Amino acid sequence: MKARSLIFVLLSAAILTPITIQTPGRWSTRVASAAGFDPPSSPTERRALFRRGAQLWPIYCNTCHNARPASEFSPTEWTMILMHMRTQANLPAEDARAVLEYLKSSR
Amino acid sequence: MKSWLAIGARAALIACSLIGPAGTSAASSSSTVSSDDPKVSRDREIQEIKREMRLLEHRVEDLENQNNELKKSNTQLKDDTQKLQTTTAQQIQTLQSQVTEPLSPTSFADAFNRYLGRYRFTVVGGAAGSFIYDNASNINTFTLDLEPIILWQISDRILFEGTVEASLPTGSAADFELPVADFQIFLNDYMTLLMGIYDQPFGDWYEDQSPLWVNRFITAPLPYGVNALIPPTDVGFQVRGGFQWGALGQVADYTLSVANGPTFTQSGCTDNTPPSLLPTCPSTALVGDVITGQNNIRLNTHSPAFGARIRVYPLPVDTRLGRLELGVSTYDGKWLNGYWLNGWGVDFNYFRDNLQARGEWIQTYRQMPSPQSADNRQGWYLQAGYFLSGLKVPGLPQSANQLLSKFEPVVRYSGTTQRAVVQSEIITSPEIGFTGSPAIFAPHAREVALGLDYWFTPSMAWQNEFDLELPSQGGFYSDTGDPIHATANDHAFLSQFAIGF
Repeated sequence: MKARSLIFVLLSAAILTPITIQTPGRWSTRVASAAGFDPPSSPTERRALFRRGAQLWPIYCNTCHNARPASEFSPTEWTMILMHMRTQANLPAEDARAVLEYLKSSR
Repeated sequence: MKSWLAIGARAALIACSLIGPAGTSAASSSSTVSSDDPKVSRDREIQEIKREMRLLEHRVEDLENQNNELKKSNTQLKDDTQKLQTTTAQQIQTLQSQVTEPLSPTSFADAFNRYLGRYRFTVVGGAAGSFIYDNASNINTFTLDLEPIILWQISDRILFEGTVEASLPTGSAADFELPVADFQIFLNDYMTLLMGIYDQPFGDWYEDQSPLWVNRFITAPLPYGVNALIPPTDVGFQVRGGFQWGALGQVADYTLSVANGPTFTQSGCTDNTPPSLLPTCPSTALVGDVITGQNNIRLNTHSPAFGARIRVYPLPVDTRLGRLELGVSTYDGKWLNGYWLNGWGVDFNYFRDNLQARGEWIQTYRQMPSPQSADNRQGWYLQAGYFLSGLKVPGLPQSANQLLSKFEPVVRYSGTTQRAVVQSEIITSPEIGFTGSPAIFAPHAREVALGLDYWFTPSMAWQNEFDLELPSQGGFYSDTGDPIHATANDHAFLSQFAIGF
């Protein structure tokens, strides 16, 4: 039992270490952006993400359900929904960012 | 300028005064020699005047130089003023264009979000109202289900998700469940930590196909129905993520979970004491028990369960060959101290244009206390659907063709095979996901479901389903010990209005 608890603690520490090291005290916006949905840094990057998202949106969404039009939700809601879908469907982070950029920009 | 004129005039007068006396002095120079002579004093005056003239000339030169410098400064100032005027005009023009130009939605949203603050909250989900008719049990009933999903974005990398399932089964009060309540922490691009109550990451059904408006049918396929082979939810944590391994669209994903694990339910027999017709509660677990997951917190004296799921999408987007998903899952845990439940499954999903097909195969091995032998089960389903969008029937008016294009016929064949079922654990109150037919609770259950969905919008549908229950002979009721002989076929009809919001 002790060995199992030790493994659990070590596993937790290994997972949470990047957070505690990079964000002393509070969640930092910079680190959060690395894993979250920070806006594209340049118009070129935005266009590239948009193109990628336009290709992936019908594919990824229709795999499980009908693709919902961009106009159904606000950009803020889309951000939350894409976070949800990134977990639910295990979407690659870059692809989720691209689909989000497409949905937010094509409203 | 006036000082210059005055200087010039003065110089002219001095010059005239010098020229006049000089002419007269030349005429009389031969006769005057003495130093006291007025001539001498005049010469001195002339020398002084000449010196003054030189001084004045120097001054004039200095003034001319100053004048030139002032002219240069003046020109420089004019140039600077011109440039400043040009720059200012450009800046004003830019500002005017910015003021008059309409704000883009993205810019407006970003600004508005900054104003609103860091926390985000929204509600999505689904709702459905259904009608169920079953021939054998003569059930005619309406049901209602509401499944809101609460999404709370705590930060850029933490999301809370909670799902409440509220249903109104016939003949009973509203029923509430909490199948999902978890925190999702996005550690990096390839790993997400999930903690709480969650849909079982096994196969495609629980996580991806079970929402009311996502499921192409009203009922669940038999392996995921009321006597599911794998617990539908669990309490624990997951590590999961996805990554691209090839061209665009070629991705793979993984899910690893540790949870409280499975247990079995005896909820159907709590009030079955005589004179109830149902048998009394069994004191021990029985072959064919309904396996549950999430409500085992108080019973969890055994070790946690472990789960893993891997999916691969081999087809690149550019090939336009469609989207193929291949998955494999496992779920292993002790459902009772010392007794394992091992489950594994394979699944596929193929989607291209208007066609969608999916299927799963599940196998579970359940150790049983002596003297009972193992409770092993198999389940499967195969499903296909085709959207009629783009279909144009010659001779039909355009409005009829448009109406036709919103239909999606679907067909599904599903079945389960197990040694026995526990009759007293069978929930007989109809609800969505349950056909109301006792035939499907035969150990060798088989079902053909035919569906016709009409899609008002991508997330709003009127669904119709006709079920043919075709149970095979075999097995027994483990709570009564009675063998199960041939069961008559049955059929049911269901109609549902489902909306995703």
